[in-house]
Amino acid sequence: MSNEVKENGVSRRTVLKGAAIGGAGLLGGGTLLSSCGSDEASGPVKFTARTNNETGLKIAQALADAYKAETGIDVTMQGSGDTNAFQDGISQYLQGTPDDAFQWMAGFRTNFRADQGLLVDLSENIANLGDQMPAGFVSGATNPSDGKQYIIPTTWYPWGLHYRKSTMKEIGLDPEGLYNLDDFMKLLEGTKKKGLIGYALGDKGGWEAMGTFSILNVRLNGYKYHIDLLNGRAKWTDQKTIDVFNQFAAMIPYMNDNVLDISWEGMRDLLLQKKCGAILMGSWWANDFKAKSQEDYDDLWIVPFPEINPEFARDTIDAPVDGVCAAANSGNPAGGAAFAEWCGSEAGMLAAQAAGDTSLYANSRLDSSGYDAFNKQKLAVIGEAKNVMNFLDRDCRNDFAGPIVGVQIQNFLKNPKDINKICEETQAAWDALPPLA
Amino acid sequence: MSGIVKDKKYRNRQKIKDAFISSFIGLFAIVWMVPILWTFWTSLRPYDDIIQKGVFSRPDTLNLKNYADAYRLMNIWEYLSNSFIVAIPAVFLTLFFGSLLAFVVTRYSFKFNLYLLLLFTAGNLLPVQLVYAPLFKMYIWVGDLVGNRNILYDSYLGVILIHVALQVGFATFVMSSYMKTIPKEISESAMVDGASVFRHYWNVILPLLRPPLAALSVLMTTWIYNEFFWAIVLIKSDNKRPITSALGRLQGEFVTDFNLLAAGAIMAALPTLIIFFVLKRQFVSGLTLGSTKG
Repeated sequence: MSNEVKENGVSRRTVLKGAAIGGAGLLGGGTLLSSCGSDEASGPVKFTARTNNETGLKIAQALADAYKAETGIDVTMQGSGDTNAFQDGISQYLQGTPDDAFQWMAGFRTNFRADQGLLVDLSENIANLGDQMPAGFVSGATNPSDGKQYIIPTTWYPWGLHYRKSTMKEIGLDPEGLYNLDDFMKLLEGTKKKGLIGYALGDKGGWEAMGTFSILNVRLNGYKYHIDLLNGRAKWTDQKTIDVFNQFAAMIPYMNDNVLDISWEGMRDLLLQKKCGAILMGSWWANDFKAKSQEDYDDLWIVPFPEINPEFARDTIDAPVDGVCAAANSGNPAGGAAFAEWCGSEAGMLAAQAAGDTSLYANSRLDSSGYDAFNKQKLAVIGEAKNVMNFLDRDCRNDFAGPIVGVQIQNFLKNPKDINKICEETQAAWDALPPLA
Repeated sequence: MSGIVKDKKYRNRQKIKDAFISSFIGLFAIVWMVPILWTFWTSLRPYDDIIQKGVFSRPDTLNLKNYADAYRLMNIWEYLSNSFIVAIPAVFLTLFFGSLLAFVVTRYSFKFNLYLLLLFTAGNLLPVQLVYAPLFKMYIWVGDLVGNRNILYDSYLGVILIHVALQVGFATFVMSSYMKTIPKEISESAMVDGASVFRHYWNVILPLLRPPLAALSVLMTTWIYNEFFWAIVLIKSDNKRPITSALGRLQGEFVTDFNLLAAGAIMAALPTLIIFFVLKRQFVSGLTLGSTKG
C-alpha cells in the first residue's frame, strides 16, 4: 500500500518538477506575455484583501508594493474587515462601489456573481498566464454556464485524512501508507480497541461534515455524479446517494458521540490531545500543532481519503481554491484584471511568499523545495487527484448548500436511521428552489 | 408590650426580606459580572498556554502582552476617531430632532399627535436586517442621482443618517414623556408674552430639558459607539469603519486567538465604561425618566 502512494506521489512530483524546469526556460517569455496582457490597463488600482489579520494584510500590502515596483502602477490595498461579514455582504459590495480587484473564492461563489454581470471576464488573463497555471486550476476556475474564467487562482489547501503517525504505529499500521477502505477500517478498529475515538467529527457549524459527505460520494460514485447531484442533475433519492449515507452511517459507531456539539476546533483538539485516530479536514490549523511542540507537528500527517470504489480510486479531492477577481462596477476594471493576473503569475506569488505566505500556490513554476515534510505531503495528496472539488458550499448554490444540505446532514447525524426520509426531503427542497435569476 | 413584640417581629421579617433581596441582586450581579471578569482573565493569558493546557487550566504566566499586541494590531486611534466621527454628530442630530418632535407633539394638540408618536417609535421595532436591503438600494439610487455613489454609501454621512433615523423615535418618546411633566402654564405665559414657536422651544422648553438630554446623550453615545451592523454593511472602506470592526483585525479566517481578542474587546469597551462611570447619575436617571407621568 505504502509503495503505491509513494510511487504515485513521486511520479507526480517528478512531473511537476519537469514542468518547473521547462517553465524556467520560458520565464522571460512569460513575463513579456503578462505585460502584453496589461497594456490597456493603466491608472491606479484599488484592491481589497479578503483578510483582516496581520499576516494577511502584510502579504496583501507586499503584493501591492511589488506590483507598483514592477509596473509603476499604484495599488491601494485595504483589508476587508470581518471576513465573514465581507463574504455575506459580497452582493452589496459588488453592486455598490467595489475596489477594482479583490481576493475571493473559486466555485459557485464566483460563478453566481459572474452570471449576474458583477465580475470581469478574466479568460484572456488566464490565457496570458499560459503554462504557469496548471490545467486543474483552470478547470476549477471555469464557470460552467459560459466556459469562461472569472477568477485567477492563487492559493489552495487540500482536505485530507489527518492523523498522528505515532498512533498508527501503535496500532500496527504503516503510518504513511493508508490506502484503501481495508486500511481505514483497520484504523477505526485499532483505535477503538485502544479506547480512542476512531474517526472524530464535529458538525456544530453545519459545514464541517459536508467534507465527509462529499468525499464519500466521490469515492463511491465519482466526481461527475457528485457535481451532478449538487446541481440537480442527479437525484438525492437515487440508490447511489442512499449508499453514501449508508457508508457514512457505518462510520458513526467509531465517532465521538457529541458530533453536533463540537466544531472543527473540537475535532482539532481531539487530534491534538491524542484522543482520536483520524479526522478529515483542511490543514489550516497545522500551526497549532507547531504551537504545542515541534514534536507534535512532526507527528502530524495527511493522506487522501482512502479508496472505496476501485473504479474511482482516489481521483478526487476537496481543495478549495482562493484567488483574485476583478469587479465590473469598479472605477478601473481593466486595471483590476491586470492586477489579478499579476497576482496569479510567478512574480506575484514570489512576492507573497517573500512576505511570509505559507499557503500552497497554484502556479507550476513555483519551487516547492523549501516546503517542510508536511507541506510536501500536501502537494503529494493533491498530485494524486485528477478532479478538484471546491468544497460542497462552493460547488453548489448557496441557498441549497447551507440551509438545506448542511441541515439535513445534521439531521442525519442525529438520526442515522432516517436516511430515506432525509434524502426525500433534500430532493423535495431542491425541487422547491426558485430558479436562479 | 405587645406593640414592641409586634415591632420586633416586623423588623425581623423585614430583615429576612432584605437579606433575600440582597442575595438575589448579588446573584444576578455575579451572573452579569462573570463574563466580563472571564474576558479580563482570558486577556491576561498567552494563547500558547491555553492551547497546551486547555481553557480551564492553571496559568503559568499572566501578563499584559495581549494588550500590547492588540494595541499595535488594532490601529486603535484611527478607528476610535472614526467611532466618534459617527457617534457625536449622530447623537447631536438625534437629540435635536427628537426634542423638536417631542416639543410639537406635547405642546400643541393635533388630532394625530399620538399616531405620530407611535409611528416614530414603531420604526424601532423593525429589525435592522430587514431595513438594510432596501436602504442599501436607496443609498445607491440617491448616489446615482447626484452622480456620486459614495455620497451616502461608504460615507460617514450615510451611517450618521441611519442612526439618527432609528434613534429619533426613542429620543422623542423619552423627551415627550418628560415634557408632559413640565407645567402647561409655562408655555401659556410664554405665548402670552408673545414668544414665537421657535423662541418658545429654544428659550423656554429646551433649557428645561437638560436632564433628559444628558441622560439620552449618554445612552445614545454608548449605543451608537457599540453598534456594529451598519458600519459593516454600509461602509466598504476599512479605514472608515469604527472601533467595533477593528476588533475583527484580531481574528483570523479560521483560527482566532481568543486571548488577544479578549484584550482588544476590553480596550474597545473602555470608552463606554469611562462614559458610564463619569456620568453614572445621568445614566441611571435616564432609565426611569418620565416614568412617573406618562
